[in-house]
Amino acid sequence: MNVIEINQLTKYYGKHRGIENVSFSVEEGEIFGFIGPNGAGKSTTIRALLSLIHPTSGSATIFGKDCIKYGSEIRRDIGYLPSEVFYYEHMKVREVLNYSASFYDNVDTSRIQSLAEVMDLDLNKRIDDLSYGNKKKVGIIQGLLHEPKLIILDEPTGGLDPLMQQKFFELIRTENQNGATVLFSSHILSEVQKLCGRVAIIKDGTIVRVENIRDMQKHNYKKFTLDYRGVIDVHHFNLEGVTNLTVDESTLHFLFKGDINRMVERLQGQNLMNMLVEEPSLEEIFMHYYQKEDQP
Amino acid sequence: MNILKQELRMGRKTLVVWCISLIGVLSLFMLLYPSIASQLEDFQKVFESFPIEFQQALGVADLELSSILSFYQFALMYVLLAGAIQAMNMGVSVISAEVREKTGDFLFVKPVSRNRVVSMKILAVLIQILITNAVVFTASLIMVTLLSSDSYDVELFALDTLSLLFIQIFFASLGLFVSVFLRRIRTVLPISMGVVFIFYIIHLLNETLKDEKLGLISPFDYFNLSEISKNMNYDSLNLLLWFVLVGVFIFLTFKLFARKDLPSI
Repeated sequence: MNVIEINQLTKYYGKHRGIENVSFSVEEGEIFGFIGPNGAGKSTTIRALLSLIHPTSGSATIFGKDCIKYGSEIRRDIGYLPSEVFYYEHMKVREVLNYSASFYDNVDTSRIQSLAEVMDLDLNKRIDDLSYGNKKKVGIIQGLLHEPKLIILDEPTGGLDPLMQQKFFELIRTENQNGATVLFSSHILSEVQKLCGRVAIIKDGTIVRVENIRDMQKHNYKKFTLDYRGVIDVHHFNLEGVTNLTVDESTLHFLFKGDINRMVERLQGQNLMNMLVEEPSLEEIFMHYYQKEDQP
Repeated sequence: MNILKQELRMGRKTLVVWCISLIGVLSLFMLLYPSIASQLEDFQKVFESFPIEFQQALGVADLELSSILSFYQFALMYVLLAGAIQAMNMGVSVISAEVREKTGDFLFVKPVSRNRVVSMKILAVLIQILITNAVVFTASLIMVTLLSSDSYDVELFALDTLSLLFIQIFFASLGLFVSVFLRRIRTVLPISMGVVFIFYIIHLLNETLKDEKLGLISPFDYFNLSEISKNMNYDSLNLLLWFVLVGVFIFLTFKLFARKDLPSI
């Protein structure tokens, strides 16, 4: 079953493009990555899912119900953590969290205490006395305290130190194992790589691709690094499937996608000192998509 | 109910400050009364010696300074002015605060509809207005009773003082409408001060012009204190107009806010 289904979702702010014809779906129980550079439209998509903004055209459903029409009903089972967190400045952490809990039925308020312990957060401090990272922790707890079936994270890790990020990822994994579906938006690829199964890549407001992270890394691309003894013949590798070709003194780098035997044939007779064939990082694949898109 | 409680809690301090200020304005004027009470007839004569246009511009044409209530009306005008600013402030800020303080991403992703949030916030404003009026009514009743040497018309006193309630509700609903109509509000006070003073100036202008149509523009004219003391009642046409306008403002507030995009931070 699909928890989120987005269908040709388009949002214009006046003449300014937000997103255009975004379509993808998130299955129940998965951790779905949503990745793209800043300003690509990740937040716009998420804000439309939460009916904070109204789409210009297209539609989206969560739990099979229209996001705008059944917004308040759907949001009972959603936990949301925005990229920047702001709370009522003059309230104490505990008060904000209790206020948050008061919107849901049957909330186990002892969860506030236990989550605060895990995240190492003082519940008796005032919001305006908190550091940015600590405010983020308040955000995490208010997003998780009602045990949501769908967790939406919009660039969640900013402001958290590496140790806290680790704890946060563990929390998300535990929630996921307990049945929660996760939509994880980020522009940091290693995060997505660590956590997600599938990923949608967005650029300039349109979805470039939806892919399984393993397929993306393993089956499609190899990263070649060749150390030459003599002069490099760049044109020798001018064949289909080679991209991101760069020369760095006596070293040649490129990505290759296609029949590996053709590459082995091509490599024969090359005067090499060393050769390295690796799985490319998501970052490199990502860059590659973008460059391909940019070509006229 | 949780939203209502939260709103009342957050508005508590401001409400106390405003109540104290309104009482302050009132007592500032009223405390002058004992010291000038004996000379009031002389004041009256001085005013009457002015050309009539001049009297109207000053708002003293119909002034009967001889009684405590006419002096009270004079003081109440400034309470109405300040109370209008207070109410408009509340109206403009109650919804827009969530955007300005960037807490909208917290509140509007909770499982409540926008209409429910708006109703609770409007209810919170109404309760604060009622509290303000109760405080002002009690304080002025005490002041007028203490200062007056002989009996006064309690009904007229009530009619005069209750006009604060109507004016505040008008400006609060206007403020609500303005806050959802404008795309983004950075500061509240300039908007509410500006709007209230424009209406007040129109009212002062109309004191001289006595134009019936112009009188329909400013809510300060709907509850013209000297008219009230003449007729011992609110004008029914003005009351109807007040009711329709408040209704339209509230309706549009719900309508516009339900469709509004909340800007990301």
